[in-house]
Amino acid sequence: MKTTGTENADRANFPQRPAASPFTAASQSTTPFLSSGPVVGSEAFAFRPAPPNAPQTTPSAPQTTRPYLSSGLMVGSEASGFRPTQPVRYNDPSIPRPPSSFVPPPTGTLQHHPTPQFFSTAQAPPPRTSPGQPVFPPPIRAPAGHVPSPPVYLHSQPQISSGQMGSPPQSINYVPSGRSVPPSSSDSLFSAPRSTLQPLQSAFPGYSSKSPNAVTQPPPVQSAPVFTHQGGYGPPPPATSTPFLAHQRGYVPPPPVAAPPAFYSREQMQHQGSGLPMGAVQGLTEDFSSLSLASVPGSLDPGLDSKVLPRPLDGDVEPKSFAEMYPLNCNSRYLRLTTSAIPNSQSLTSRWHLPLGAVVCPLAEAPEGEEVPIVNFATTGIIRCRRCRTYVNPYMTFTDGGRKFRCNICALLNDVPGDYFAQLDANGRRIDLNERPELTKGTVEFIAPAEYMVRPPMPPLYFFVIDVSISAVRSGMLEVVAQTIKSCLDRLPGFPRTQIGFITFDSSIHFYNMKSSLTQPQMMVVTDLDDIFVPLPDDLLVNLSESRSVVDVFLDSLPSMFQDNVNMESAFGPAIKAAFMVMNQLGGKMLIFQNTLPSLGVGRLRLRGDDLRVYGTDKEHTLRIPEDPFYKQMAADCTKYQIAVNVYALSDKYTDIASLGTLAKYTGGQIYYYPSFQSSIHKEKLRHELARDLTRETAWESVLRIRCGKGVRFTTYHGNFMLRSTDLIALPAVDCDKAYAMQMSLEETLLTTQTVYFQVALLYTSSSGERRIRVHTAAAPVVSELGEMYRQADTGAIISLFCRLAIEKTLSYKLEEARSSIQQRIVKAFREYRNLYAVQHRLGGRMIYPESLKFLPLYGLALCKSIPLRGGYADAQLDERCAAGHTMMALPVKNLLKLLYPNLVRVDEYLGKASSKPDELNISRLPVTAESLDSRGLYIYDDGLRFVIWFGKMLPPDIAMNLLGEDFATDFSRVILSERDSEMSRKLMEILKKFREIDPSYYQMNHLVRQGEQPREGFFLLTNLIEDQVGGMNGYIDWIQQIHRQVQQNA
Amino acid sequence: MADLFAWLLSFFLLIAIVGIILYQLMCLADLEFDYINPYDSASRINKAVIPEFVTQGSLCLLHLVTGHWFMFLFCVPHSYYNFTLYTKKRHLVDVTEIFNQLPWEKKQRIYKLVYLVFLLCASIFGMIWSIVE
Repeated sequence: MKTTGTENADRANFPQRPAASPFTAASQSTTPFLSSGPVVGSEAFAFRPAPPNAPQTTPSAPQTTRPYLSSGLMVGSEASGFRPTQPVRYNDPSIPRPPSSFVPPPTGTLQHHPTPQFFSTAQAPPPRTSPGQPVFPPPIRAPAGHVPSPPVYLHSQPQISSGQMGSPPQSINYVPSGRSVPPSSSDSLFSAPRSTLQPLQSAFPGYSSKSPNAVTQPPPVQSAPVFTHQGGYGPPPPATSTPFLAHQRGYVPPPPVAAPPAFYSREQMQHQGSGLPMGAVQGLTEDFSSLSLASVPGSLDPGLDSKVLPRPLDGDVEPKSFAEMYPLNCNSRYLRLTTSAIPNSQSLTSRWHLPLGAVVCPLAEAPEGEEVPIVNFATTGIIRCRRCRTYVNPYMTFTDGGRKFRCNICALLNDVPGDYFAQLDANGRRIDLNERPELTKGTVEFIAPAEYMVRPPMPPLYFFVIDVSISAVRSGMLEVVAQTIKSCLDRLPGFPRTQIGFITFDSSIHFYNMKSSLTQPQMMVVTDLDDIFVPLPDDLLVNLSESRSVVDVFLDSLPSMFQDNVNMESAFGPAIKAAFMVMNQLGGKMLIFQNTLPSLGVGRLRLRGDDLRVYGTDKEHTLRIPEDPFYKQMAADCTKYQIAVNVYALSDKYTDIASLGTLAKYTGGQIYYYPSFQSSIHKEKLRHELARDLTRETAWESVLRIRCGKGVRFTTYHGNFMLRSTDLIALPAVDCDKAYAMQMSLEETLLTTQTVYFQVALLYTSSSGERRIRVHTAAAPVVSELGEMYRQADTGAIISLFCRLAIEKTLSYKLEEARSSIQQRIVKAFREYRNLYAVQHRLGGRMIYPESLKFLPLYGLALCKSIPLRGGYADAQLDERCAAGHTMMALPVKNLLKLLYPNLVRVDEYLGKASSKPDELNISRLPVTAESLDSRGLYIYDDGLRFVIWFGKMLPPDIAMNLLGEDFATDFSRVILSERDSEMSRKLMEILKKFREIDPSYYQMNHLVRQGEQPREGFFLLTNLIEDQVGGMNGYIDWIQQIHRQVQQNA
Repeated sequence: MADLFAWLLSFFLLIAIVGIILYQLMCLADLEFDYINPYDSASRINKAVIPEFVTQGSLCLLHLVTGHWFMFLFCVPHSYYNFTLYTKKRHLVDVTEIFNQLPWEKKQRIYKLVYLVFLLCASIFGMIWSIVE
């Protein structure tokens, strides 16, 4: 049985269920009109009455909205993809009427449909129908033909959609399907009529005489209007009438046969499937997807083929419809909403059990050609709304001949400053629109004048705090760091203003005077840790371009200076305090390299580490929060003085990342964790990541605020930063690898607006010393239907918020509770969704979920198995947990999804092929499960943070030989993969390089693993195969079943 | 006569505690409306926390020493609550998380305030009673 949320699955399933028949019965009894509607079960049946109906539908609509509704309901039924088309059938006639010319118009309407205007129409069906009526007469009055038909058609459209769900995408479904009627039916039924089309054309009377016949079946009440309209229809050009006849002809015979609806429906479905244009298929799939599961709870047989479960093998697919709907919105790499349809009431919000919010990555890297335009309002000052301070954006409307503009967020009418004035053209658009990127682009950058500064823009400032105790020297860290910093000096942003400074520490603190007049740095040692002071007021922090030679000398001599150091202590706290004192005039970035547990002075920590007994008790979470308030206080002070802290933790023992990480967490920094750092193994990783940290474009002393329309408010913020006021995020340094999430809530019980606007503004100092404001603007429609919210949901953003919420939860609750809260929310969301559809359908043992959320359960499972949340004491080191938690709190959506569901690819075949070139590399991703691993293969597992290269047991030895040389038989923990003199090795390195280039924010280190080599294999790969059952955690199938069972309970 | 003084003293102590808590609430409200920054707000509140706890403790003791058993019993839960907060090191507001904790911190102080107002009434009643006697 097929599953994966495509309408194929539905189609396949459908015939088995005789669901159609109950409907026919039920509806027949309700109204005359219905009789034709429900018959739907069979296309033929529906079709016969169709022609007369078509005209009829429209006029009768006002009286009989209900029948429509019922047919609509049915539509929403399990038939999902398939059913909806049925009602169209009898509207169809309106389409075929001008058959020759009609095909283009529908496409036109098809495109129009998704536009926001239609939302409103769909929401309010009755008013819509009445305007429709007046439109209708034209056919009678003017037989001219084509003109009237589109309105009619259009008009009937919303009706259906309203009956159905009031949802535009569904109405989209109709359009194409309607259009496709002739082709689809042509398969069997139409082909014959087609041929007879010409003769029939002339026999118009036959049409009218026949149609009454057809109509006699429905009760007489109906037939009357039919006739009148038929009169109306008779006149239209012969060309239009013919298809009707054709239909008639083709379909008249079937009715009697229509008895076994299931059979028909199946047939018809197939027709549809073959006849539908691509767009329609996509539209249909949006309805909902389902998964057939064994209906017996607890049965041993899963009843479910793991192959059909949905898997994001194409990576993160962003919802497209939203971007198409609002082309002026900023790109989704900057702002992603968890659902692009904002609920219009608090009661609706409460039924949406997933997070409602946004994930913002303000400085995401733009691909070539999509650079953010920079706008300088030198003379006018930045145009903002007077009341809500919203920045000028494409959604602001200019009125009053261009003298006023209306704020899109608070609707206040503002005056346009004289220098910014431009006249409006006939369409009400400013004549200078094309020269104004701020009015045409969702993302712009303003150059901020002096009123946006509290002090002159700061220079980029890097301050290094380096541990030089024995373990730092022994592990080779000192050398790698010194070399890397030196190699990056030329590439530090902000030349020639860049400032730099160094402190090293063991049991004492060493300051370095780098004054440009010196030939080599002067070292000053402070041993008084209780009352730390800065020995020199200036010259500890120097301008890089002036003191370049001194810095070079220092970095060259640093490794040798301490190579005989045997000091094991670490005065970490005092060193940070000292660095803080040096930096607090300017702010900047503090990079801390820490190799041992802080043992002296303030902020000393103890080995509270992994106490097995604490796990599972109420005190479990205390291990994950900082032990000493010093760290929080220090972090708060750093943020206050615009200092961002990046912590590089490289210890081989427990270093209490929970405490050290706090420094990074509240200063907008980042934790880099290299457990058991050995320069021989980790050198490349540290070098790459440090270089990236130093050279990527960074925004300094910044604040971020997100504004949104009236009635909606952002309430909670999640990520690595500190709030400066209720809605102002303070970010001493921010770069393209950081994302922030926020949740919103409705302030008013009912939103009256049609659209909610969001504006993210990041005020920052660029490395070049300019004060700038980056503004991202987006609009989202307000909806009244829960189904619509589900349709517009964005799994990536939801998972990103889930991840942050769960990690925050681990700081005050048990891991178990954090995991179950994720599961509960997924279950609640799916249950609510099921309730939307379960009323009209017998869903049986099927699990249904919206197409947009088909990966949600899998990502939820992956989240529960991710390092910060997985298992218990034994499943991950405490430090590793905390470090991963801090990392995941900052990851942008795409990186997070890749981390959660890694790439697993098989490469041995590719390597074996002689001719293939690296740019032909086209390897398909495999499900992340042990079943994908073939013992004859070579696999790469890539989660964005590391590579695991898995050598199967039966892998031809020559491949291993080629890749590893003589090392291939030794212990893999000591083997380093490097380029060897063979084609295969070069190719592998090429692949790895390509994978690394996809996302340069982290360097994936190679871990070689041989099949069956425990515990290495288990540690690196097996525990990370998230679809498998590992250590008491569910496998994918079990997880789906568990969720399904819980959804069904109290459903 | 001594009893009257004891009541008077307890009355002033109560007024002091109410004052301190009102001050903390004001700081929190100011923070919410963005009149002061979280650093100042937190440091002001944290400065007032220990005096508040000490005053509350001494009030409790005073009732014990002077033999106002009922008043003592009324005071005990509050003191116990303060004591547990202190031992769990949760008595100070956390400047880094102050916005997330804001609703809870406010609620906690408002409950305290209501409780104290009740105590205040009781203590005024006791004072008048002792005068009448």
